[in-house]
Amino acid sequence: MGILDKNLSLRNRNKILVGVWEDEDALIHAAEVLVHKGINIHDIYTPYPVHGLDRIIGVKRSRLARVAFLCGTTGLILMISMIYYMYVVDWPINVGNKPVRFTPSWIPVMFEGTVLCTAFGMGFFFFWRNRLLHGVKNDLLDDRQTDDRMIVAIETTESMNQSEVIEMMKSNGAVETREYVNGVQTVI
Amino acid sequence: MGHGHHIEIKQESFTIPAKGKQFAIILMVVGLILTGIGIATIDKSGKSGHNATTTEATHGKDNHGNGHEAPASHAEGHDNHLTANPPAHTVEHVEEHGNVDTEKFGPRMEYKEENKPWMTKIWANLLVAGYFFTMVSLCALFWYAVQYAANAGWSVAIKRVPEAMYTFIPIAFGVLMIAVLLGKNDIYHWVHYEHLHLKPGQPGYDPILAGKSGFLNTGLLFGLPIVLVTVWVLIGRKLRKLSLQEDNATKGDTFFFKKSMRFSAAFLVVFGFTISIVAWLFIMSVDAHWYSTIFGVYNFATSWVSSIAFIALFVTYLRSQGYLGLVTQEHMHDLGKFMFAFTVFWAYIWLFQYLLIWYAAIPEEMMYYQIRFEDYKYNFLGNFVVNFVLPFAFLLMRSAKRNPKIMVAIACIMVMGHYYDVWFMVFPGVFGLNQQIGLLELGIFMLFVGLFVYWVLNQLTKRGLVAINHPFLEESVYHDVGV
Repeated sequence: MGILDKNLSLRNRNKILVGVWEDEDALIHAAEVLVHKGINIHDIYTPYPVHGLDRIIGVKRSRLARVAFLCGTTGLILMISMIYYMYVVDWPINVGNKPVRFTPSWIPVMFEGTVLCTAFGMGFFFFWRNRLLHGVKNDLLDDRQTDDRMIVAIETTESMNQSEVIEMMKSNGAVETREYVNGVQTVI
Repeated sequence: MGHGHHIEIKQESFTIPAKGKQFAIILMVVGLILTGIGIATIDKSGKSGHNATTTEATHGKDNHGNGHEAPASHAEGHDNHLTANPPAHTVEHVEEHGNVDTEKFGPRMEYKEENKPWMTKIWANLLVAGYFFTMVSLCALFWYAVQYAANAGWSVAIKRVPEAMYTFIPIAFGVLMIAVLLGKNDIYHWVHYEHLHLKPGQPGYDPILAGKSGFLNTGLLFGLPIVLVTVWVLIGRKLRKLSLQEDNATKGDTFFFKKSMRFSAAFLVVFGFTISIVAWLFIMSVDAHWYSTIFGVYNFATSWVSSIAFIALFVTYLRSQGYLGLVTQEHMHDLGKFMFAFTVFWAYIWLFQYLLIWYAAIPEEMMYYQIRFEDYKYNFLGNFVVNFVLPFAFLLMRSAKRNPKIMVAIACIMVMGHYYDVWFMVFPGVFGLNQQIGLLELGIFMLFVGLFVYWVLNQLTKRGLVAINHPFLEESVYHDVGV
């Protein structure tokens, strides 16, 4: 997938333990228990935002805001140079005898250009970072993770007691547990 | 969501801390003293400033007059006026085109000494204060209604604060009406003009003011706002009563919530149609020849953002005193976002009122900005810096919105800045040139802030601080904006 970030992919990894939840309260509690036991949760996939989950599994603050700021600044500079070239250098037009340089009439263009670049830039970089650009292959752990189920993915390590982790998930409300190796899932 | 640590929800009853009471009283006393000094130092020789007399050449030679003085002297003024220096931009045009008919370009401003009773300054200041706090309290009610209409959950934990704030409407409106009653002849030159009862063709007859007399007349100036404020206050009282009934009802009963929602929706409709009318009557009519179709929205933006700043200040204060235990940094962050968003909204409206008038350059619209931009340049641009650039720069960062000290500082700047904004809408229109903020302005502002703070804190003591039976209370308690 070229430019896409491979670290987010679930393929080419150690075995992944998958737990399926149907209730968000139980999920939050289970995530707390798992984190408390020192188990490193790779990610949790939910069909809608579950408040508080991000803090529990230690999601870092998104850098999207900084990206937005940079995109906005870029848009602003782009628009100022565009108007300057078009309206001052290349083809000045006399509109009601107003001056051509840096007048209030520039502001709507600058504003809209900033907003446009921010919105498109954020959209692009968001999809890029989440490897959701065009041509992405379906990589769902569960078809219903976009509908009503919440999926916990835990990457196994050599020191991990796998059966204990699975037991822990089951006793904390997982309705199903599976293991995932390179795209193949088996219920355990 | 009962995750993690369970948060216990319990009612809180507020008593004003001694220091809070002291603070409000000190503000009022210092405000009164400054007002006294301010009044004592007004130049009472009869000339309290210069006045901008505007005439539009397109109206014909004799058909002008704005009612500041007797028609006879108007005619004289007009003759001078034809030879007076045209404003700078007209000069430019003349130089560039040589043969341009200067009469087509804009109203020519003629500033001259004008006799205004020195008391006018007091009435105009009271008008600003009364108007500002009426609108701020009204926008608190608007805030409250928006939360219901939008089915918002996060704000339930702080909903008693705007609920207490809008009880200030009658007080502020009373002051506003007193100021208008006592100062109307000198604040509004159209009131003066109305008393002249001029017929078309008479010297001093003003076709613009005559054309607007269907709306700009003394009967409407008093009648309409009283009706509107009565409607607002009645809906506000109803909402407050429903909120109290909900506290005493059983948990899980959504009857009062649904009823509040309907009244809120009704209020939003009333508010949307009426807030502009109040802005036109009290503030825009100061420059009665001028009009701006966005003026009501602009006034709304100013008062709405100050109202949010006041809500943030009260919530921060209550939290610092150990109340509102259910309110967390997350709620403050959302209030910060509200302040930030509507700061941008204010700037948007501020700019576009100016931009369209600047672009079209229609004489009857230009006059408002001509005096403000050419003779009050620093005030005009300073207004923008204080009300937009500073809050925008400081509130852009997430960490700033979550820092109570920065929030309080910015909220204070915004409240003062927007009060100044209203002042700046009124004073150049009433007094013309050379008006600046002085001790009188500062004193009246402090007096009103003190009164407002004391009133709101007192209202907060009258019921529990937590809307204990609100169906969304739990959602608000566990509100989280994420990492």
